[in-house]
Amino acid sequence: MAAQQGDVDELFDVKNAYYIGSYQQCINEAQKVKPSSPEKETERDMFLYRAYIAQRKYAVVLDDIKANSSPELQAVRMFAEYLSNDIKSMAMSIQVLLSLDRVDLARKELKKMQEQDEDATLTQLATAWVNIAVGGEKLQDAYYIFQEMSDKYSSTLLLLNGQAACYMAQNKWEEAEGVLQEALDKDSSHPETLINLIVLTQHLGKAPEVTNRYLSQLKDAHRAHPFLKDYLAKENEFDRLAMQYAPSATA
Amino acid sequence: MLTKFETKSARVKGLSFHPKRPWVLASLHNGVIQLWDYRMCTLIDKFDEHDGPVRGIDFHKQQPLFVSGGDDYKIKVWNYKLRRCLFTLLGHLDYIRTTFFHHEYPWILSASDDQTIRIWNWQSRTCVCVLTGHNHYVMCAQFHPSEDLVVSASLDQTVRVWDISGLRKKNLSPGAVETEVRGISGVDLFGASDAVVKHVLEGHDRGVNWAAFHPSMPLIVSGADDRQVKIWRMNESKAWELDTCRGHYNNVSCAVFHPRQELILSNSEDKSIRVWDMSKRTGVQTFRRDHDRFWVLGAHPNLNLFAAGHDSGMIVFKLERERPAYAVHSNMLYYVKDRFLRQLDFNSSKDTAVMQLRSGSKFPVFSMSYNPAENAVLLCTRATNLENSTYDLYSIPKESDSQNPDAPEGKRSSGLTAVWVARNRFAVLDRMHSLLIKNLKNEIVKKVQVPSCEEIFYAGTGSLLLRDADGVTLFDVQQKRSLATVKIAKVKYVVWSSDTSHVALLAKHAIMICNRKLESLCNIHENIRVKSGAWDESGVFIYTTSNHIKYALTSGDHGIIRTLDLPIYVTRVRGNSVYCLDRECRPRVLTIDPTEYRFKLALVNRKYDEVLHMVRNAKLVGQSIIAYLQKKGYPEVALHFVKDEKTRFSLALECGNIEVALDAAKALDERSCWERLGEAALLQGHHQVVEMCYQRTKNFDKLTFLYLITGNLAKLRKMMKIAEIRKDMSGHYQAALYLGDVSERVRILKNCGQKSLAYLTAATHGLDDEAETLKENFDPEKETVPEVDPNAQLLQPPPPINPLDTNWPLLTVSKGFFEGAIAAKGKAGQMAADLDMDATGGEGWGDDAELQLDEDGFMDAQEGLGEEGVGKEEGGGWEVEEDLDLPPELDVPVGAGGGAEDGFFVPPTKGMSPTQMWCNNSQLPVDHILAGSFETAMRLLHDQVGVVNFGPYKSLFMQTLSRGRTCYLGLPSQPCLRSHPQRNWKDCGAKQGLPAVGLRLSDLIARLQQCYQLTTAGRFEEAVERFRAILLSVPLLVVDNKQEIAEAQQLITICREYIVGLTMETERKKLPKDTLDQQKRLCEMAAYFTHCNLQPVHMVLVLRTALNLFFKLRNFKTAAGFARRLLELGPKPDVAQQTRKILAACEKTLTDAHQLNYDPHNPFDLCAASFVPLYRGRPIEKCPLSGACYCPPYKGQICRVTQVHQDSHLPFKIIDSILQLFCHKIYFSKMEKTPAVNI
Repeated sequence: MAAQQGDVDELFDVKNAYYIGSYQQCINEAQKVKPSSPEKETERDMFLYRAYIAQRKYAVVLDDIKANSSPELQAVRMFAEYLSNDIKSMAMSIQVLLSLDRVDLARKELKKMQEQDEDATLTQLATAWVNIAVGGEKLQDAYYIFQEMSDKYSSTLLLLNGQAACYMAQNKWEEAEGVLQEALDKDSSHPETLINLIVLTQHLGKAPEVTNRYLSQLKDAHRAHPFLKDYLAKENEFDRLAMQYAPSATA
Repeated sequence: MLTKFETKSARVKGLSFHPKRPWVLASLHNGVIQLWDYRMCTLIDKFDEHDGPVRGIDFHKQQPLFVSGGDDYKIKVWNYKLRRCLFTLLGHLDYIRTTFFHHEYPWILSASDDQTIRIWNWQSRTCVCVLTGHNHYVMCAQFHPSEDLVVSASLDQTVRVWDISGLRKKNLSPGAVETEVRGISGVDLFGASDAVVKHVLEGHDRGVNWAAFHPSMPLIVSGADDRQVKIWRMNESKAWELDTCRGHYNNVSCAVFHPRQELILSNSEDKSIRVWDMSKRTGVQTFRRDHDRFWVLGAHPNLNLFAAGHDSGMIVFKLERERPAYAVHSNMLYYVKDRFLRQLDFNSSKDTAVMQLRSGSKFPVFSMSYNPAENAVLLCTRATNLENSTYDLYSIPKESDSQNPDAPEGKRSSGLTAVWVARNRFAVLDRMHSLLIKNLKNEIVKKVQVPSCEEIFYAGTGSLLLRDADGVTLFDVQQKRSLATVKIAKVKYVVWSSDTSHVALLAKHAIMICNRKLESLCNIHENIRVKSGAWDESGVFIYTTSNHIKYALTSGDHGIIRTLDLPIYVTRVRGNSVYCLDRECRPRVLTIDPTEYRFKLALVNRKYDEVLHMVRNAKLVGQSIIAYLQKKGYPEVALHFVKDEKTRFSLALECGNIEVALDAAKALDERSCWERLGEAALLQGHHQVVEMCYQRTKNFDKLTFLYLITGNLAKLRKMMKIAEIRKDMSGHYQAALYLGDVSERVRILKNCGQKSLAYLTAATHGLDDEAETLKENFDPEKETVPEVDPNAQLLQPPPPINPLDTNWPLLTVSKGFFEGAIAAKGKAGQMAADLDMDATGGEGWGDDAELQLDEDGFMDAQEGLGEEGVGKEEGGGWEVEEDLDLPPELDVPVGAGGGAEDGFFVPPTKGMSPTQMWCNNSQLPVDHILAGSFETAMRLLHDQVGVVNFGPYKSLFMQTLSRGRTCYLGLPSQPCLRSHPQRNWKDCGAKQGLPAVGLRLSDLIARLQQCYQLTTAGRFEEAVERFRAILLSVPLLVVDNKQEIAEAQQLITICREYIVGLTMETERKKLPKDTLDQQKRLCEMAAYFTHCNLQPVHMVLVLRTALNLFFKLRNFKTAAGFARRLLELGPKPDVAQQTRKILAACEKTLTDAHQLNYDPHNPFDLCAASFVPLYRGRPIEKCPLSGACYCPPYKGQICRVTQVHQDSHLPFKIIDSILQLFCHKIYFSKMEKTPAVNI
């Protein structure tokens, strides 16, 4: 195969597999390759362990890398240590999964998170997010999580909007109004609050003018908000579609 | 002393209160015993069997009995239920002074001038004991309320206490048999006496008239001819004089302990009643009469009531007012109890003492005024001498320990009444009856000269109500002037409604309800004292009398809600609860049934939907409500209560409801009913019912004629047969004549011997063979064959072109709410314009409608409609699609969840969002819009409702879309997460979700009001726009029952009628009016407008426009029609008067000067594009959503009403959708709808 030439990277396959996210292949390659030098060996091990980290098999990394291992590997070990303890990354995964409408995966991730530290604030919040996505009876649990936090610390826009989302998902529009009003008092141009109010006012049967006022506020202050981007795209789509039905000129 | 009741009679010698009922017995010197109801102030009964004065009288505590004793030596026991004397006890040998029942044993105690006291068993009707010892008349003898003791008073100047435990032991021990009294002493075989003297109280130096035990303490009070009242104390071994009350200057007749207070009451022949303080032994109060000596006193066992008998009658009185001082502010009640100011939170029922009042006044707090802004109170105290009255100003402490509340320093000043008039000002009516305005420091800010004034009441900021001898004046304190005055005598209390729009003025026996301007709205008289009142949230005044809770509507309707045992003071009314304070100052909540007054209120306010709801759901029955409804002109409502068929029948006829009348008539099956029904049905052109009536009454003549005019030849022929069978010649002949059956006529004539006529008939009609045969029958000798008239004309009825099987086209009668609502089972009331009939049109109605209209008023009331009723909106039943669209996540291997189990990082695929599921689960356009799937939504709208022009839908789409998602924040600086509210969130699971719609029928209905207002204001174009928005929103509703479908349809109809009408009116205003033809066209359009189905308030304006235009055009006949329709709507008086004038003018010349394309009696649809009438039977095109009609040339164009539809027939696809259901109905209901024609 490849000669021992200087310009050829003997760890190419290992690195490549790692970079393209094929972690198991990376591990397989790393176990096959025979590094030519201790430096290369260390480098190979770094990729091997990082692949394990990517697979979240932190324990392997923590067990393998001993105190007498090279400093580079010590750094990897620290990374693993950091990641294995950090529920922030899990919270992030959950948020991403929920954005992808993969509630099933989000629940699995949440379970792991809860095993790690059930009482952590982030775990609690993530539980609330998942509960909102699951819906049904879980909505009330989600609500209590937000409520408890605002009792414990103080109510924030995040917590209030969380509560509002729970209420609205339960069709408790009047209750949601109180919560959102509180949020609005805190910050009258908070985009998520405004969006929720746009939803709420309609469900409460308020005059269309009221809803439009919130929409205008949102347009004024948060042109780039994804909600508005979607909204404008939809307007264009409407016009385009409406054309297809336009009555023929001869009629 | 507060006199509650007074009687005039002969001298009253004895008195007794009933322990439970509001009754008092008075025994008179003339031998009569009177039973009075002191609350109703009526004499209930009279018992007149004694000869001479009756001095002893006593109610039994439990049984319906009383006992009396008189100068005829008789003791009589009476039953007041049976209203007779049960038996008489004889034995005393002289006048009987007092008679009392024992509280427990079946004993009567009597005291007599024969110097004895006797105890009788009223069950065995025997005397069981004679107490001897006194050596003069015994004036009084009473049992101890709990012990085996008797106290007696005698003219021998002693008071004696007797021990009767021996009697009790002997007679009431188990198995003991009461024995007839042996001998006068009552000493048994062993020398033991049943009753022995325990104490002899000597101290009075004249005869003693009365002695009584204290209810709980070992005390005795006595009154004697030595003009003294003495208090005695006793223990087991002795009794001694405690004190003497001196003050009476003639014989003391009677003395009693106050049952609950440390007081003694006594009365005397010196014509006074005196109240003594027991601990201080001083006179507290004295009440004098001018001419009457007092003889007896009675105390009520439980209530603060006393009675005193005198020379010419008796009085029932109490020593002090029992009304608690209280004030209500929003959810709080403030009241004074036991020298504490207490606060009661109505919502939480938390009752706390907030402060202790400064002591020092012997009088209780009379009234209270509360200032919520400063949390301060004014407490007024009335002294016996009014001039000594004072008030206290307190600032209520913010924090207070309820167990031991603060006693803040108040500011006291003299003054009759003090009332807040502003946040930091109050008014004081001082003893000179002038008005002072003071600040929070209790300093005089200004003095105000007021008209003569005895009392002031609160009347909102800056105002007061001033009471003088015969009226109440609303006085502006700042402007120092009177604003209004109303006449009502002696107002005692004033109760404002929470918004101060109404005020109730309460006098002793009258209530007047006024508005803010003090204009009297109604006057109610009560026979019993009015006690208190409060306004409930719907504007009904709930008040109490001594024995009832009652209601009063501002219209004057009033009635009883429930009875009361004891007076209460209403503090607040909410729903079914009446919050009140009782006389012990305890807050209480009573439950009432508000149905009756709510029902009446709804009728008065024309909230017929509520009325209907109550009719259907409440237990409102009874003759009174039916009579009420009939009297008030609501026979159609009454119809719903009536089960009795006869009444039902009359009511149904009264409101022209033939269907109901027919049902009732069938049930009754009486000739007179069928006759009346027949007449009514004939007037309505309901000839099928008429036929049935004639059949039932066997009215063959009329039936025959009915068949003739309806062209029913087959039945007419049947009638002829029947007549023949009945041998009714003339009926038979008539039927033949109607049928044009000549040979039959000939046959009849021949059969009844009218040979000549038969021959002539046959000959004239060319029945030659027949004629010949008949001719041969003539006897040439005796008879002459009549000449046939050569000029005879054929008498043949015209054959009916089209037999009328169905009823005559019935003119559309303006249906009352109830008929309509009952037919539709809907709640049409919500869609009725919520306007007062008096609202006047705005400028947009133009000069035509404004001949005499004043421009000012639009409408003032715009109450929100009830939003109840529309509840759940689950589509339900969409599981059909469940198996078809498998969510893509199922295609992904489960293992992928871990992300890298197989060594590769497989990014998770996108899952199925709830919005996608919505699209899968639903065929309702709105669900697709909410999901953001405009493409499918448009396709659905196009296919289901036929929308082609989506332009007007854009804002609705965007709005709907924007309410489909909520958001919540995840990690900082990350895009927010989305949540999707679902209407079936409780049980939809992961895949059956349907979006929360957020558009409710009730909201759309509520929006109608705004449209109506714009219409009234004449802003037609804006109104049309809004109506259209509502109309277009209807297909975006999710409805879930038939009633809602009906309502949605009705909503569409309303919008359509208004859009067509208002568009036409806008168009009309743009047209020139120079030539006659142009003017005629204007008139026509105005006339068509009157056939749009509008709310009465708008119809009045439309009709006035049409009326005036037609009048000007000299088309008087049609104008008169408009005028009549206008008057039917009950416009306000000046309009009605004007209309009547025009009508009178029209009726002088009932002709039309010009021929117009308008036939008021022929139902038509109005082409929404060309505004020409499309009379019945003409081809029309209809818009599939709005149902708007068009002449055929407009086929294929955009509907003018919706502006989104093409009028064309669409392929119809049945989709399992409720929405579809009603689209379907609209789509195929070509002959269903007719604009109402009000004749």
